[in-house]
Amino acid sequence: MELRINQKTYEVEADADTPLLWVIRDDLGLTGTKYGCGLAQCGACSVLVDGSVVRACVTPVAGVVGREVTTIEAIEADSVGKRVVAAWVEHQVAQCGYCQSGQVMAATALLKHTPNPSDAQIDAAMVNLCRCGTYNAIHAAVHDLAAQQEGA
Amino acid sequence: MTHSRFARTAGWLALPCLVAAGLLAWYVTRDPASPFEAEQAARFDPALVSRGEYVARLSDCVACHSLPGGKPFAGGLEMATPLGAIHATNVTPDRDTGIGHYSLADFDRAVRHGVAPGGRRLYPAMPYPSYAKLSDDDVRALYAFFMKGVQPAQQANLASDIPWPLNMRWPIALWNGLFAANTPYAAKPDQDAQWNRGAYIVQGPGHCGSCHTPRGLAFNEKALDESGKPFLAGALLDGWYAPSLRADHNTGLGRWSEAEIVQFLKTGRNRHAVVYGSMTEAFNNSTQFMSDDDLAAIGRYLKSLPGDPQRDGTPWQYQAESVAAKLDNPGAHTYVTRCASCHGLDGKGQAEWMPPLAGATSALAKESASAINITLNGSQRIVAAGLPDAYRMPAFREQLSDREIAEVLSFVRGAWGNHGGAVGAQAVGTLRGHTDPASSSPIVLHMR
Repeated sequence: MELRINQKTYEVEADADTPLLWVIRDDLGLTGTKYGCGLAQCGACSVLVDGSVVRACVTPVAGVVGREVTTIEAIEADSVGKRVVAAWVEHQVAQCGYCQSGQVMAATALLKHTPNPSDAQIDAAMVNLCRCGTYNAIHAAVHDLAAQQEGA
Repeated sequence: MTHSRFARTAGWLALPCLVAAGLLAWYVTRDPASPFEAEQAARFDPALVSRGEYVARLSDCVACHSLPGGKPFAGGLEMATPLGAIHATNVTPDRDTGIGHYSLADFDRAVRHGVAPGGRRLYPAMPYPSYAKLSDDDVRALYAFFMKGVQPAQQANLASDIPWPLNMRWPIALWNGLFAANTPYAAKPDQDAQWNRGAYIVQGPGHCGSCHTPRGLAFNEKALDESGKPFLAGALLDGWYAPSLRADHNTGLGRWSEAEIVQFLKTGRNRHAVVYGSMTEAFNNSTQFMSDDDLAAIGRYLKSLPGDPQRDGTPWQYQAESVAAKLDNPGAHTYVTRCASCHGLDGKGQAEWMPPLAGATSALAKESASAINITLNGSQRIVAAGLPDAYRMPAFREQLSDREIAEVLSFVRGAWGNHGGAVGAQAVGTLRGHTDPASSSPIVLHMR
């Protein structure tokens, strides 16, 4: 089947029900997206599909054919994603870093749909787990971004 | 004078009582007739054994008579009854602890009439009220399989926990007289061969009614075939709601085509639902091994059973819902964070891999047990064609409180046109206790 990932077209051979995460990591070697729980509970595997965040470990690959997938590798090609990564650096959010590609995807999706989210909206959207406990830094970074205007 | 007249009267009365008691004793311990009495069962040709293996698949014998990790058909599964636990028995051809010494007639009496050698009555946890409808040919094949196709295993049966006098078996004979079928399935001449084959599998070996037909006060299935309206009309059992298999729009198969029924039983999933709860085992062990012709016959038969709009309620229609606008509702918030990745913000799931919750029977039936149970305990591994599935419902037992589960299920059962009704935290708490493997009163199994 043909997949569009990070503005490139890939021809992959996979069963229809293979999780998108396996195709991204094992077949295409894009290992920035992480495997956490495999049950859609933690968010480490978050990627964007047509600009919305999905958990790649529970997304059958057949369901994203004909749609645009974005992974952490290409997030800075996106103007919102680029600002998110800059804020992450500014706030030195990452500690061990394992969950952070998923956190960046979640923040990017939130800001794409809701450019100026309230604190409550940030809390409602940023639900990926982080075992280092970087939640306060994540909240602060997204809070800063929420106050900015695009291109500022 | 009075005294002797009393004695005489008592004497005259005692006589019929004794006769009645004698007749009763004969009735409850008698060996039912078997057409195989005079049959020598010496010829086990391989075709008959493999035919018997298929009948064992149709009948899902392995579900109770095998334990995970145990020897096939050596028994041991614990089943809770209101009176105490009983255990499925060793049905391997071992001569000491299994059924190696059974003649074909003995085997027939056990399978179709629930009577072990010596006249001892089996508990109807063994679904002989359904197996009674097996054809003579299928019983003969099944016997050949159990004698020649199964490895003998020496494993003693476990005694039941039911105390005296409740453990006396003879009253079951009276129960059988009232509630169990005692003749093989007879084809209906006004229906074609496919319909009759479907009826035979559903009512007989498939014993679908054991879970899907509601039970009466004596724990009897309220109907054993399509002549009764309660037949396969949906039932609450073992902490799950087994949905209606009739043409009910909301809680049954009204929205399914025959081809979708076949797909569900063959692959474990279709665009409406994915197997879960006790049906996972029925799928893993039985339905996926059925031939395409047999599955088509089942679909044909089930689709011939009319629904009951009065019981089923207002027909469900999808209604779009903006979950994002409802984030101040705690149930909607939990849905977005915990459920929407798989089941979708629109409640439609993902193709046939992740089931929709919009229009799901668990969100439309007034019985909320299945919705609560699957949320607390997750789903079991579905193994289709030897491969475990990629996706599973996780257990939220440790992550969500009774209140949070009640809130999210109340949201799901009221969103997208669903109208199953709210769920209370107390109902979640009760089922949490009953399905806790560490609790003192777990639901093990009543029937399968």
